[in-house]
Amino acid sequence: MFRRILIANRGEIALRILRACHELNVETVCVFSEEDRGAEYLRLADKALCIGGPAPRESYLKSDRLIAAAEVTRADAIHPGYGFLAENGQFAEKCRACNIEFIGPSVEAIKLLGDKASARTLAKKNKVPTIPGSDGVLEDDNETIAIAERVGFPLIIKASAGGGGRGMRIVHDKTDLLAALKQAKQEADGAFNNRDVYIEKFIDRPRHVEVQIIADQHGHVVHLGERDCTLQRRYQKLVEESPSPGIDHRTRENLCAAAVKLCKVAKYHNAGTVEFLVDTKGRFYFIEVNTRIQVEHPVTEMVTGIDLIKTQIRVAAGEKLEFDQRSIRPHGHAIECRINAEDPDERFRPCAGIIEKFRPPGGMGVRVDSYGHDGCRVSPRYDSLVAKLVVHQPTRPQAIRSMQRCLREFVIEPLKTTLPLLRRVIAHPDFHDGTIDTGFIERTF
Amino acid sequence: MLDLDRIRQLVEMMVANDLIELSLRDGEVEVNLRRPNPKSNEPVLVTTPMMSPMHAMHASPTNSPPVVDGKVPGEVVDLKHHEIRSPMVGTFYAAPDPDSPPFVQVGNPVGPSTVVCLLEAMKVFSEIKAETSGTIERILVRDGEAVEYGQPLFLVRP
Repeated sequence: MFRRILIANRGEIALRILRACHELNVETVCVFSEEDRGAEYLRLADKALCIGGPAPRESYLKSDRLIAAAEVTRADAIHPGYGFLAENGQFAEKCRACNIEFIGPSVEAIKLLGDKASARTLAKKNKVPTIPGSDGVLEDDNETIAIAERVGFPLIIKASAGGGGRGMRIVHDKTDLLAALKQAKQEADGAFNNRDVYIEKFIDRPRHVEVQIIADQHGHVVHLGERDCTLQRRYQKLVEESPSPGIDHRTRENLCAAAVKLCKVAKYHNAGTVEFLVDTKGRFYFIEVNTRIQVEHPVTEMVTGIDLIKTQIRVAAGEKLEFDQRSIRPHGHAIECRINAEDPDERFRPCAGIIEKFRPPGGMGVRVDSYGHDGCRVSPRYDSLVAKLVVHQPTRPQAIRSMQRCLREFVIEPLKTTLPLLRRVIAHPDFHDGTIDTGFIERTF
Repeated sequence: MLDLDRIRQLVEMMVANDLIELSLRDGEVEVNLRRPNPKSNEPVLVTTPMMSPMHAMHASPTNSPPVVDGKVPGEVVDLKHHEIRSPMVGTFYAAPDPDSPPFVQVGNPVGPSTVVCLLEAMKVFSEIKAETSGTIERILVRDGEAVEYGQPLFLVRP
């Protein structure tokens, strides 16, 4: 087991990793930017040192400084958390070249699965369903028509350089194809200075379902069930739950098996999440793999009783997984709400400042992962996540009731947060029925 | 102009108006007052070489981090000293190698490009220059000690 781990992150995930380390009797080194100097959670680390200026690129993204910090404090491993350098293959490589273990998968696995295109190719090769598409930029109109016929309608034209929903056109009928193509190319050119577009089958009202994988360095790969993360706003997850209320048992089995297969062929070790879209007919399509621990990992921890961060540390230290697929028995239902410091009345503009009153809820099956406290500073420099509120109950209706109670109890003042929005979302009948899709929040609220 | 009473008045004015920064110049002397933590009444007093006219900034809802020389809030630093701070994380070495004398000692004069120490990280040694002129007043770290970003290494008397 490692003697000392450097936590190359901040906020709630740094605190989470700190806690796991202490329970494993591993010493901790925390790093902080000048902006985070004085943060309360830093007191819990055995050592804390400043690694740079306020901007992430001046501190948390400076791989050389992080490695130097591990060197001077004689840490033998680095846990990257999520975001920042967590999926950066070069950082992982540098760490290991300096004899510092990177708590995550191998560099090869990060490169193979972390790259969307190569992951997709690997998926197709292993008969994991992917979204049918052009698999490359569209050259001429004849080729485009042929591809469109193969993919089928409705389809969506997307800008290669794109994002934010721009340079996208949904085409329902063959007759509209060429006109839509011309428009999409123009829009792409205007928005991204790049006319390249590709085609994908359009999946209407999809659910986002992801599978948690954990693997050791001895070839054992297991899944810990799925999480449904359909409730999103602008591609940012807001609510996650397990098990998914929108898939049947067979789909679940197939999804999880596909995820395990993909990770096995990629020789994956440590934690990872395989993401899928599921359509209204229960067909699923592989999207991508996140080669790191995710924000919503507590949802899986609550239903399986397995501490994912501790397991990450153990497998990185070379230990075998303590459990096998048969011994994993998810039970009950867990829901997580992400509470962000954002103003719902100002298009969710991030709010920064001091939390004067921080009153988290409690009770049976209630978990709050947060760096918040009375007097806590929320910086405008970093992500706006303030707290993760997770409830675990024997059934989904009970979990919903518990979440409603907890959201009512939770006080965070005076900053504006997503608490009021979450209260309305969790109370909505469509959420109760499980008949939501990824566009639900934007349409309804 | 730079008498304590005047400075006290300026501090009171800043607190009363919830200003976080105030700069003013009188002849050749320039003073910057900054309140890194609007809740505390302790401003940080530093001089800067830049000449700028009097201006004031109102407190913003966000807490601006202490940037000017990175001083800890509440600390009133003697106007006369300048700190040489570490630009990186690494191990401090006072001399070019174990057999040589240290780059500088207390009392040595330094100029902007005088090498004052080495900082080592990932087996790479970086020469750290004074970037100021004056005399070494105090050496704040020991040879072989680990230093963090922004940590004061030397005090220089201009």
